[in-house]
Amino acid sequence: MHILFEVSQMSQYRSVFRDETKLDINYVPHRLPHRDRELRLLMEFFSFALQAPDRMAQRVLVTGDVGTGKTALSQRFGADITREAVKRAVNLRYVHVNCREYRGSLFLILQHVVSTFHPNFPKRGYSAEELLRTLMQILDEEDAHVILTLDEFDSLVEREGSEAVYKLTRLQETRQNKPQRLSLICILRNLNAISQLDPSTRSTLQSNIINLEKYSDPQLNDILNDRVTLAYKPATVPEETISLIAELARSENGNARFGIELLWRAGKYANAENLETVTPECARKAVSSIIPTIRKADLTMLGLHEKLFLLGTARLFKQTQKVSVTLTEAEQAYTIICEEHNTKPNTHTQLWKYLQSLTNAGIIKTEVTTATGSRGRTTHIQLPTIPAHELEKELTVILEKQET
Amino acid sequence: MKVEDVFSSRIRMKILRILNRMGELNVSDIARRLGINYETTSQHLKILEDEGILQHKVFGRIRLFRFNDHSPKAKAIQNLIEVWEQTEKKTP
Repeated sequence: MHILFEVSQMSQYRSVFRDETKLDINYVPHRLPHRDRELRLLMEFFSFALQAPDRMAQRVLVTGDVGTGKTALSQRFGADITREAVKRAVNLRYVHVNCREYRGSLFLILQHVVSTFHPNFPKRGYSAEELLRTLMQILDEEDAHVILTLDEFDSLVEREGSEAVYKLTRLQETRQNKPQRLSLICILRNLNAISQLDPSTRSTLQSNIINLEKYSDPQLNDILNDRVTLAYKPATVPEETISLIAELARSENGNARFGIELLWRAGKYANAENLETVTPECARKAVSSIIPTIRKADLTMLGLHEKLFLLGTARLFKQTQKVSVTLTEAEQAYTIICEEHNTKPNTHTQLWKYLQSLTNAGIIKTEVTTATGSRGRTTHIQLPTIPAHELEKELTVILEKQET
Repeated sequence: MKVEDVFSSRIRMKILRILNRMGELNVSDIARRLGINYETTSQHLKILEDEGILQHKVFGRIRLFRFNDHSPKAKAIQNLIEVWEQTEKKTP
């Protein structure tokens, strides 16, 4: 009886979406409104890669605030240039790596690049230098060229400092008379992140900079309109809803990614209420449901155990209703979460690292106190701006998606 | 080596099945999957390579083994494994 009811409900289900995947953060549209000039500039910087790839390597910095289209621009460029390379029979690969996803480790980043050529390349037993040599050997043997995009480049600089960047940019100096193989696109929010590099490394990077300005209201409108056409059925999203979402995205520093996420959520609210159109009210509901200071994308980027640790902490806050919890309590909650996910919990030292990275990302706040008359120190964790139940809900969805 | 000598070893057959499924692997990984030691795995790999069935590439200290792209024997064996495994799937 119950099943029959559900099936009959399903048959009545209608959706405002034509293809909601076009609103996914990983989707790269064929057309990038208001980024034509920057795309042409990137193509210009890398025109040699199609004409004389052996003779040159390039380094380009792409800067801009959150949601200004840095990642989309690079990925669009990557897809366009590799398509062009195929036509010209040039063996060119575009590899896009989010450095934060690889905890800013040069070793893990290079391992990812090597794995695009040899998917089962062993994961351990050698150093980053050996891996870099291996990569060059592969490229020489296959007569291939790579444009490596280091997204969230600051994460690499922060962890590895000048040394790693120097190795990548000065690679060719140790390969005299051999063809150039590796070009770099480094994506970062602003140039402050590379100020800590030594002057010579910095100078090798700073020659080509493409800065993406924040989107204006009309520009955000255009972007959202494009996505509406791709993702929604005709006449399901009225102009006033698009304008409202553009306005909300503008108030979030011209963050197009935020606007697109809002556009998707608004559609979900419309579907849940069985509406034929996405009303401005759906957009308002969507905005109030999004975690204020942290976006889904930021949570998605976290490592599995960072997510599990954060989920444990969020549940603890929800259950205890306390202002802060101790690291020991959070560790116990994390162990339970690991059990639920059939994963072996990581060590205390590793949790300490997660705590640091989650603090740096602005997701949690930590404070260390020393009790009077005692020798031990206690770490207290706070969730300053994120409602625990929202965070728990988001992480559960992300983890479920990841596990399937 | 005669065909019956190559195929008479359970370990060699397992190596061939693993590489057919995975594409290419290093010696340690093959040994781990077989649950046997590095030396024994190396010896069997050498036999298969001497027969022209497998080939390897060296990257520093790492040797990656795979089926020999240019060998008719390798192609025939891959074909045999695929047909065998497909038939097994269909048989209840």
